[in-house]
Amino acid sequence: MAQDWKSFEPLLIPDIPNLQQIGVYEDNGGYNALKTILKDQGHWSRDHVIDEVKQANIRGRGGAGFNAGLKWSFMPDPDGGPRYLACNGDESEPGTFKDRKIFEYNPHLFIEGALIASYAMAIDNIYVYIRGEYISWVDMFQDAVDDAYEKGYLGENILGTDISIDMEITYGAGAYICGEETSMLESLEGKRGYPRVKPPFPAQKGLWGRPTTINNIETLANVPLVINNGADWYGDIGAEEHPGPVLYGISGHVNQPGVYEYASGVPVMDLINDVAGGIRGGKDLKAIIPGGSSTPPLRADQLEGVTMNSDSLKEAGSMMGTAGMVVMDEDTDMVDVLWRIAHFYHHESCGQCTPCREGTGWLEKVLLKIKNGEGEMKDLDLLLDVGNQMEGRTICALADAAVWPVRHTINRFRDEFEERCKKSVHAVA
Amino acid sequence: MPEVFIDGTRYEFDEEQDEMLLQFILDQGLEVPFFCYHPSMSIPANCRQCMVKVGTPVKDRETGEFELDENGDRKIRWFPKPQTSCSTPLQDGMVVHTQETSEEIERAQKDNLEFILVNHPLDCPICDQAGECPLQIQTYKYGPEGSRFEVKKVHKPKRVELGPRVTMDAERCINCTRCVRFTEEISETNQLTIVERGDSNYPQTGPGETFDDPYSMNTVDICPVGALTSSDFRFKARVWEMNQTPSIDITNGKGCNVDLWTRDNEVLRITPRENQEVNDHWMPDAGRKAYELFNDNRVSRPSIKLDGDNQSDTSWNNAIETFAEVLEAHDTQEIALIGSPHASVEENYAVNKFFNLLGTTNAKFATHIIPGAGDDFLITDDQAPNTNGCRAINLDETDSDTLKSIVSNTEVVIILSDDLVGREVLSADDLDDTYTISFATNQSDTTKESDLVIPITCVAEHAASYVNIDGRIQRSYPAKETKYTNRRLNLEMSEGRLDRYGTNFDNWVSEENKVDCLPVWEFLNKLAERINLEFEYQNSRDVFADIRNQFDILSDISYERMDKENGVQLPIQQKEVKQA
Repeated sequence: MAQDWKSFEPLLIPDIPNLQQIGVYEDNGGYNALKTILKDQGHWSRDHVIDEVKQANIRGRGGAGFNAGLKWSFMPDPDGGPRYLACNGDESEPGTFKDRKIFEYNPHLFIEGALIASYAMAIDNIYVYIRGEYISWVDMFQDAVDDAYEKGYLGENILGTDISIDMEITYGAGAYICGEETSMLESLEGKRGYPRVKPPFPAQKGLWGRPTTINNIETLANVPLVINNGADWYGDIGAEEHPGPVLYGISGHVNQPGVYEYASGVPVMDLINDVAGGIRGGKDLKAIIPGGSSTPPLRADQLEGVTMNSDSLKEAGSMMGTAGMVVMDEDTDMVDVLWRIAHFYHHESCGQCTPCREGTGWLEKVLLKIKNGEGEMKDLDLLLDVGNQMEGRTICALADAAVWPVRHTINRFRDEFEERCKKSVHAVA
Repeated sequence: MPEVFIDGTRYEFDEEQDEMLLQFILDQGLEVPFFCYHPSMSIPANCRQCMVKVGTPVKDRETGEFELDENGDRKIRWFPKPQTSCSTPLQDGMVVHTQETSEEIERAQKDNLEFILVNHPLDCPICDQAGECPLQIQTYKYGPEGSRFEVKKVHKPKRVELGPRVTMDAERCINCTRCVRFTEEISETNQLTIVERGDSNYPQTGPGETFDDPYSMNTVDICPVGALTSSDFRFKARVWEMNQTPSIDITNGKGCNVDLWTRDNEVLRITPRENQEVNDHWMPDAGRKAYELFNDNRVSRPSIKLDGDNQSDTSWNNAIETFAEVLEAHDTQEIALIGSPHASVEENYAVNKFFNLLGTTNAKFATHIIPGAGDDFLITDDQAPNTNGCRAINLDETDSDTLKSIVSNTEVVIILSDDLVGREVLSADDLDDTYTISFATNQSDTTKESDLVIPITCVAEHAASYVNIDGRIQRSYPAKETKYTNRRLNLEMSEGRLDRYGTNFDNWVSEENKVDCLPVWEFLNKLAERINLEFEYQNSRDVFADIRNQFDILSDISYERMDKENGVQLPIQQKEVKQA
């Protein structure tokens, strides 16, 4: 890290009272980035904006970590037809709960980011997809959108220019799969949330067959920071290959669970001990899941020197994901944990394609057997093998998300699983 | 020409065709297993069975030339994961390994089948789909030898009446979504969707809705497992007990290509036969019920009204004698001849020719068109299969009023295979003062009014041709034996497993299902012999050979050509439809 993480001043959810009110947001420099661009479109051409964002290397905060500016550059040139920005606020993965903080505390930062993205990609319609369970946040965010319309940031001829952009909120019916980008498009189109086969990719054929870019809420909230301060400034925040502020959602056996904003690259143990107040009851740490339930768990003894950025976590054998960290103390039953995760993915598999539809249920049922003390040693190998049969063979990544916890939890906590299993009975010739 | 290498063999492909890899593989006569793909519907790639290993050659960005390895072979960049061939577009230089040459793919397909069978009941011995089940066939060819799934299967709803004609056993559903896509993309009723999630999901109608789509039973045909079944056909027969004979749907003017499935001289099922020029892979539900016309309520053995009131069966000899006496007793101008758009070209021609030889004027026929009865798909306003066939051989098209007038001025009316009374072209009263002779396949209001009824073969019992509303001439083949035919001696008849492997349990022996009827030309042969008329045909090929000599429009048509080209388009423009 370039600087001590403790000195970091929050940028996405700064401690400013009533920042969700558009006046307060404006008083604190809100919408300046948008105004800057729109006033000087000669300098801030669409390509320039995209290059700046690309240069800043905003890594997608939805979990995949792809360079946002590069993603924007995949949009084809305008052809006069509609183009869409689909904003993904369907954070349904266990352990992930950070976008709601933006909806609640700083919605205009996201709106401004979405408007800049729309300008850069010549988009005229923004859809914001919010997790269906976030009922109160939907209402809060709708107020912000209404205010933005009233102030002329949204709608016809934004700030007196010839640019018109609309924003509409859609909330999901409560399916995890609708957070997968192409399923979200299906859901936005009013259909059952099934992932789409790629190619064609959304930039070529997205909503209603038109060019569409899908960005996470937090990703877009980073955009005004880059425009206001420049890509170099942004690149200096946090980890070199994964720069910028990050909303860390910390849950589990810590004294102070919650969403905390720091630069990327905070040491994992500092996050647990200093930010989240340490392990509940003074117990020892057993394991963490770094970025949502699909990211492979890490044992406590694997965490030395590991920081919250893609490279460091990859080296340790996991992933950054959404930076929604689940912390587990020494008393945690990893068999129970894994069964619960498997139960979630089984419940949430959309059922469209075979390996996920059948594999997730199989994993859960075998894990339940083990959890109930009825498993056999051979079941552990079966779980790993079934996981291998699923990974990489499905339309979307839900099956992968279901497999990784199984594989890595068993491999990293195998003794616990073996203890719960009966010895396999083999026939003797 | 762009090229693709499949399992080490080079194939050329047409870039303009925009074909996907799986279809191309199938077109080459090669095989890759699949369930959800259907050539006439969108590609969801959800069964994941058609996985192949795919690589593309690496090209030098500047020169555009293929980069070569140290052996001088093209460098190939392999996709990191197996690809579903159904959704993979062909690309010049693409290298493909199927299960034939890739252990990785062979294993992936086996793994996938293990998944598919996880919650699929292994009830092949009682499943209606057994014997023609792609899942069963492909499991034998590509699946694992057993299952490691030793926990409880999911039990989904069984025996669900989705609609009046389709019954679902959701347990067997493998979620290929062919049925859902059919209602979305082909019949466009959107009556089916998938409910529930994960391994609990299955197709269903909307709450309170019923699957009464007029094409609903096509979903039964395309269901790759036994999940959707025909409520009518369930448990009636096993596929290996039946013969499959190509034929034509005679319930409307489209002439959908069909297969007649027969066992023991009964047609038990009618399914569509692919013909891209006519019906693609589909047919309306109504056409499937036609099997009842072939089995039930048949006119079997001639009948006669002796006292002018009650019909009673009579011998063929007496029927011929009576017919001859009627002809001898009347001047040819007192005889009216009514052909039929419900009868074949050969039947109409033979009957018309016979009476023309006697001096009777050309046969009239009344179209059977109900404006508004059709749709924009396979159901037509024209309720008869051969209106254009009648036109092609120059029968006189007429309407109800004209026919009534003709009948009222004649002594004898001869009706070919058309329920003119039932469909109210003529009334029973119109026939009161005439001697009415019907050549008929089924009992009807018209046969009831007839003084002499001659049973003739139906479309399931003879070879004949029909011209559909688009002017396409297509033919039928005999699928059932009559009292005077023998399937093993009739080369036109299809051979089934029971013919090939006939045992003591062979069911093709039941006499009661053989209708006592003759092809109309065969009856006319006998009648001609009785009245010393020079008229004789050995079979329908003979009749058609005569027809092609008489009519230019049919001069280059033959049964062989119809067989080879799956029907032949005639230069016929559909006339403006006229209601009978």
